[in-house]
Amino acid sequence: MPNLTKRYPIKARDYLKAGEVSIQIQGLLKIIGFAPDFIRRVSLCAYEAEMNVVMHGGDGELTLEVDTDRVDLDVRDAGPGIEDIGLALQEGYSTASEEAREMGFGAGMGLPNIQKNSDSLDIISEKGKGTEVKIGFIA
Amino acid sequence: MEQTHPALHYVQIDEKRCTGCVLCMKACPVKAIRVRDRGVAEIVGACIDCGECIRVCPHGAVKAITTGSDPSKLSRYTIISASPVLYAQFDEEVMPNEVLLALRKVFRYIYDQAYIHELYNVAVELHLKENRGKEGAVRPLISPVCPVVNRLIRYRFPSLLKNIIPIMTPREIAARELKKRLYCEKVFDTSEFGVYHITPCSAKMGSINYPMFLDSSYLDGALGINEVYELISKNLRDLEEDVILHRSSGVGIGWGVSGGEIAGLEDGNFLAVSGLSETIRYLEKIEMGLFENIEYFEFRACLEGCIGGPLTVADRYQAKRTVARFVRMFGHEKRLKYAQAEKAYHDGWFFNEGRKIPLAATNRKLSLSDALARQKKIEEVFRKLPGKECGLCGSPDCRTFAEDVADGQVGMERCVLLNREKTK
Ligand SMILES: Nc1ncnc2c1ncn2[C@@H]1O[C@H](COP(=O)(O)OP(=O)(O)OP(=O)(O)O)[C@@H](O)[C@H]1O
Ligand code: SF4
Ligand code: SF4
Ligand SMILES: [Mg+2]
Repeated sequence: MPNLTKRYPIKARDYLKAGEVSIQIQGLLKIIGFAPDFIRRVSLCAYEAEMNVVMHGGDGELTLEVDTDRVDLDVRDAGPGIEDIGLALQEGYSTASEEAREMGFGAGMGLPNIQKNSDSLDIISEKGKGTEVKIGFIA
Repeated sequence: MEQTHPALHYVQIDEKRCTGCVLCMKACPVKAIRVRDRGVAEIVGACIDCGECIRVCPHGAVKAITTGSDPSKLSRYTIISASPVLYAQFDEEVMPNEVLLALRKVFRYIYDQAYIHELYNVAVELHLKENRGKEGAVRPLISPVCPVVNRLIRYRFPSLLKNIIPIMTPREIAARELKKRLYCEKVFDTSEFGVYHITPCSAKMGSINYPMFLDSSYLDGALGINEVYELISKNLRDLEEDVILHRSSGVGIGWGVSGGEIAGLEDGNFLAVSGLSETIRYLEKIEMGLFENIEYFEFRACLEGCIGGPLTVADRYQAKRTVARFVRMFGHEKRLKYAQAEKAYHDGWFFNEGRKIPLAATNRKLSLSDALARQKKIEEVFRKLPGKECGLCGSPDCRTFAEDVADGQVGMERCVLLNREKTK
């Protein structure tokens, strides 16, 4: 049984609040006392996943599970889904809108970054039915 | 000496004046204030001397402790090194040199610290140049100038202590050089003189008594701008002397406003951020690794920079206009010999020997599983609270109250709103 579970709602296209959830997670892990580099990895992945929901997905939720030896993130949204997951995982691939690009996003580096900084990554998605991104970290 | 205990701070609340309202407690960005059983506000947590509480207190109950709080502590011969923020406190027609002359009527030796700002800029440029393309170089680097930011980093972002650039602050360099010079010239016995910084800042006194990167400060104390303002205004009226004490160009004076420090740097990828909430936001993101493309951050805890410091007299926006005027007047050309500054850099003039990165200051060290259990307890308490963020319990917000309850500092019964529901 996981030790601590927290849920955070994420709103699609709410650029003003974007990033707030991952900052809260960073603060929480810091208070608990994980190693700085571990916190950096988790919060960076949370940030990329959160931003993807804001930019590409629909309204969703991030579930955080914290144990002494691991942290898991489960990020779900009810958006358009990802058609070709293999393609989405490639560096530089992006379907970001003009609006998002103007704000400096859309380099197509989010998912590759998550892959690089996590210990496990599982993406479940179907076109039209939303996306679930599960990310695991071993402390 | 190093500060390891959070209780050491130089902002203090006068209990006789405090009415126990919750304004300062709510304003404190690090949630260091509580109103407990005694009914007055008390600083109980890791205060960073930012002075937000000074700004919001309607009763004048919160003050910064400086050397000026007890002038008998001033040395016999007082050497003054003034922050250029001082120049922007008067009528626009009052020139920096006049301010320095007015000071000279009272103090023995007056120095224009802004000149050192220009030298410091050269040192940062050279350091950044060395860092470029260097394998494993720390990025981004952070300005060491604002002591509130340094303490914030130490308490809340200790993994970024290594990012603070290892160059001495201009105020320390200025004090060191003044001491060297006066000592060599044998003007007077070292034991009889002290170098004091005139400052807009409520955190300088702490950074002098408990410096983070030095064994001990070269400065002997600090005077708030608000403490010397009247004296200067009075002396400005009949200035006879005509010597040039003001040495800096617009570059050094411009430092008083946010962005002024990086304005003195050659082209590069820099960012200036001011205000505590924005500073915290950026530090959080830097810790995530999101700003490795930026080379250097100028952070100032006060909104708009040091002209917004809690010990200033003039309104920050008027002061900003005055600084802009001086920058136009005295120009964007540094008044120094570049080759000399470069040589000084390579000779180690800008560095302090044996600089150590201080330890993180945390007041709690639980094992991971205990910390996790604590966090679960906090969540449990938090869920029961009404979430109105009223502060009547004496903690700044519901989440902090939940933490205080989980830590056994206060009981649940302090929640006024829960009690009211129960008695209904
Ligand atoms: N939650 C999601 N819902 C729908 N599509 C998504 C979602 N997350 C990612 N994608 C798709 O995968 C692509 C690649 O995502 P990735 O995060 O790698 O890059 P990006 O978001 O486009 O740019 P960057 O993250 O560098 O700002 C996105 O452009 C988008 O088409
Ligand atoms: S000086 Fe700043 S940190 Fe200290 S108690 Fe006041 S508001 Fe809080
Ligand atoms: S911005 Fe300037 S005045 Fe304000 S806390 Fe920092 S150094 Fe002090
Ligand atoms: Mg992305």
